[in-house]
Amino acid sequence: MELEKASARLAPRSPWQAADLGTQFYRHWAGPITRVWLLFTAVPYALLLTMAALNNSLWPLFIFWWLKPLWERPLLAFYSHALFGETLTLRALLKRWRHYALPGLAGQLTWRRLSPMRSFNASVWQLEQVKGDTASQRLKVLNSYPSNRAGMLTLLVLHLEQFMTLGLMALLYMLVPWQFNLELSDWFYDQSALQLAISGLCFYLVLCITEPLYVACGFALYLNKRTWLEGWDLQLGLTRLGKRRRAASAARRVVGALLILLLVPSMEPAKAETTPPAHSSQAEQQQVIELLASPEFMPLQEKTERQWINQDNSESESLMEKIWRFLFDNLDDEDAETNSTPLNIPDALLWTIFWALFIALALWLILKVANQFGLRGHSTRNRPVIPTHVAGLDIRKRSLPKNLNRAVDDALKAGDIRGALAILMRAALAGILARYPVALAAGSTEQQCLRTLQEQHGDSLPIAYLQRLTQAWISTAWAHRPVSDEQVRTLMQHWQQMDRLEANHA
Amino acid sequence: MSQPATLADAAALAHDIESRLNQVLIGQQQVVREVLIALISGGHVLIEGVPGLGKTLLVRSLGRVLELDFNRIQFTPDLMPTDVTGHAMYDQKTEQFRIRRGPAFTQLLLADEINRAPAKTQAALLEVMQERQITIEGKAFTLNEPYMVLATQNPLDQEGTYPLPEAELDRFLFKVLIDYPGHDDETRLVNMVLDGTIRASLDVDSLSPATDAAGLQAMKALSNDVLIDAEVLDYALRIVRATRDFNGLSHGASPRASIALARAARVQALFEGRDFVTPDDIQQVARPVLRHRIQLSADAEIEGQTPETALARLLDQVEAPRQ
Repeated sequence: MELEKASARLAPRSPWQAADLGTQFYRHWAGPITRVWLLFTAVPYALLLTMAALNNSLWPLFIFWWLKPLWERPLLAFYSHALFGETLTLRALLKRWRHYALPGLAGQLTWRRLSPMRSFNASVWQLEQVKGDTASQRLKVLNSYPSNRAGMLTLLVLHLEQFMTLGLMALLYMLVPWQFNLELSDWFYDQSALQLAISGLCFYLVLCITEPLYVACGFALYLNKRTWLEGWDLQLGLTRLGKRRRAASAARRVVGALLILLLVPSMEPAKAETTPPAHSSQAEQQQVIELLASPEFMPLQEKTERQWINQDNSESESLMEKIWRFLFDNLDDEDAETNSTPLNIPDALLWTIFWALFIALALWLILKVANQFGLRGHSTRNRPVIPTHVAGLDIRKRSLPKNLNRAVDDALKAGDIRGALAILMRAALAGILARYPVALAAGSTEQQCLRTLQEQHGDSLPIAYLQRLTQAWISTAWAHRPVSDEQVRTLMQHWQQMDRLEANHA
Repeated sequence: MSQPATLADAAALAHDIESRLNQVLIGQQQVVREVLIALISGGHVLIEGVPGLGKTLLVRSLGRVLELDFNRIQFTPDLMPTDVTGHAMYDQKTEQFRIRRGPAFTQLLLADEINRAPAKTQAALLEVMQERQITIEGKAFTLNEPYMVLATQNPLDQEGTYPLPEAELDRFLFKVLIDYPGHDDETRLVNMVLDGTIRASLDVDSLSPATDAAGLQAMKALSNDVLIDAEVLDYALRIVRATRDFNGLSHGASPRASIALARAARVQALFEGRDFVTPDDIQQVARPVLRHRIQLSADAEIEGQTPETALARLLDQVEAPRQ
C-alpha cells in the first residue's frame, strides 16, 4: 500500500466524518461496486429465494443473511484496491477469490457473526490477514478508545435496511390495484409464496444499496483509525517534504531520511495486505502502535469528566444508582469523549443494552424451541387456577358461612330452599375444586363445571355427589320445582360425611 | 298428520324432524338443529358458507318434511326489488292493473347468495321479514304462517359481494355457519352416493312429511310455555348488553337480540325435553343469535380476532346467573 497513491485525503477525522468519507467512496464507485455485489450474490440469492418460495420457509433467506460477511468480502477487496488507484475488474476479483475470501472467514461466520463491529473488523481479517494472538492484539488496539463507532454504524445501517425494505413494500402495496382487495396487514404478514418472493426481492434490492455502503463506511472507519494511530497524515506530509528536498545536498538528504525514520515508526504499515513483514519487525511495529494508542499519545480535542458527588454514600445507594454509577465509572475509565454529538452514548451503556437484548433473545429462542419440541415441563402457568366464582356463586372459603349446617338449616326454616341449595352448592364447589382443580371461567355454568370435572377427573365420589346436587339445584332454581327440605338435609349430611372422608383420606 | 299436544310430544316431533333432515344432509347436525330452532321460534336464518355444502338441499328437505311451500331466488347483481316481491302489471285484455306476485309469496323462501345483490334489492326483504307482509302498489298482502327466510351468503372476503345492511342483519334470528363435513361424514356421504342409497342430485322425494304447518304452529305455541326464570332471563340480557361496551366490539346487539336469545333458548330447552330454560340453553344459542349483530372494532380486526373469538371471550366473562 502506497499511501501517496490514495485517492482520498488521509487525515484524522471524527468517526462520523470518517463514515461520511465512506459514503463518498460508495458514491464514487457506485456503478462498479453494485456490479461486484450483483456478480457474487445475484445467483445465490435467486436460488435461495426460489427455495424459500417453494418451501414457504424463511430459512433460505436467513442463510443468505447469515453469510453476509462472505458476500461483503469482494466489496471490501474492491474498495481497498480502488482507493489506491487499482480498479479490480470482475474477472480479477473472481480469480483472487480464495486470496481475500478465506482468511478469518470461519470466525466471522460463526462466533463473530453477530459482532456489531463487523464492518470495521472485517478489514483486519481480510486486508491484514493476521491470525491467532496477533489478530486478537491487533483488534484490541484498533478497537481501543476512542470508539470507532462501528457498532453504531451497524445499528444505523440495520435500521436503514429495515425501513427501506418496509418502505419499498409499502410503495408496491400502493401500486396494487384496489380490485385485488388486499389488506395492508396481509401484505406484510401473509406468508404465501408470492408474498414471500416479493418481500424477498424487496429485501435484496435494498441490500444492493446498503451493503456496499456499509462496507465502504466500515473501511473508512478502519482507515481513519489507522490514520490516528499510525500518523499516516504526518507520514504523508513528511514524505512530500522529503521529495521537495530531494534536490538538496546528499548530506541533507541523509539527515532528512534519518529524521523521517526516527519520527515515523512505520513507513508502510499496511504492507501486510500483500507481503506480510518479518516477525520481528511486525512485533516492533505493533509495539509502536500500542504505544501510540495509549491515552498519553492520543490527541484529543475536548475533555469531559464525570464524577459522582457524595461518593461516600455508596452503601446507601439504590440498585438503579449503583447500575448508573457502574456505567459511568466504566466511562470514566476511558477518560473522556472526543465529541458531543447527539449519538454520543456511553459505550458501557450501549454494550449493556446489547448484551441484555442478546441474552433476552437467546432465552426467548431457547424457550420457543423447547416449547416446539415439548421439552418444557408443565409450568405453573399451565396449571389450572382454582376459580373464585362459578355460575355466579362466590366459592371462596372466606365467603362461606362458618357454620354450614346452621346456615342451611336457617335457610330451610325460612322456606328458602333455593338459598339453602345455593349455600350447599358453594361449599361443595369450593371443596371439590380445591381437590380437583380445573380451569373455569366466570361465565361457566354449573353444568359446564360438572362436565369439565367429569372430563378431567372421572366420576369420583365427590363429583358424583356434585351431579346430584346440581340436579337438585337446577330443578329448584331454573325449573321452579323445589326439592323437599328432607332432600336438602340429606344432601347436606352426605356432603359432611364425604368431606370428613376425603379429609381423612388426604 | 301428527300434532303435538304436550311439550314431550313437541320434543319428540322436533327430534323426528331433525333425524329426517340429518338423513339427507349428512354431517351438518349443528346446522340442522339451529335452523329448526329458528323455524320453531318463528325467526329467519342467514346461512354463511362456501357453495356446495347443501344449503339448497336443506331448505328443500325442510319444505318436504314440514309440507311447506318453497321458493328459491338466486340473488344476482342485476336483481330488482320487484323480482323478489312482485309488481303490478297492466293487463291489456282486461285493461286493468294486475298484481303479479313474486317468489317471496311462499312459506319457505331460500334467498340464495343474498350478498351478491345490491343493498336496494336486499332491502326489499326487510318488510317481508319483519312484518310478514308485502306491499305492492300500496296494497299490503299478508303472508301465510309459518314463514321463514333462509338466506345464504358467501363469506364476505369473496369478490363481487355486498355486505348486508345492519337493519337487515338484525332481522335474522340466527346466523348459522355451515362448514365442510368431517372426514367420517364425508366418507359416509360419498359411499351412500356410490352405492345408490342416495342420489347425488338434490333428491328429497325419499323424505316423508313429519308434520305440517299446523303441527309447526303447535310446536311454536308449546315452546311459549317453556319457563324462563327471571335470573336466567337477566343472564340473557346481560350477555346482550355486554356486547354494547365490550372491549374489541365497536357496536353491539340491539334489544331485538335479547328477544331472539330468549325465544331461541326456549326452543333449545324444548329440544332437550325440558319445560324450563337453563343458563346452558342461553349459552348454546348465544353465538348464532349474536355473531351477525356485533361489529368488531378496527383494533380487534387488526389483532386477527373474529366475532366467534370475541363472543367466546364475552361468554367467559359474563357471570352465569346468581342465586
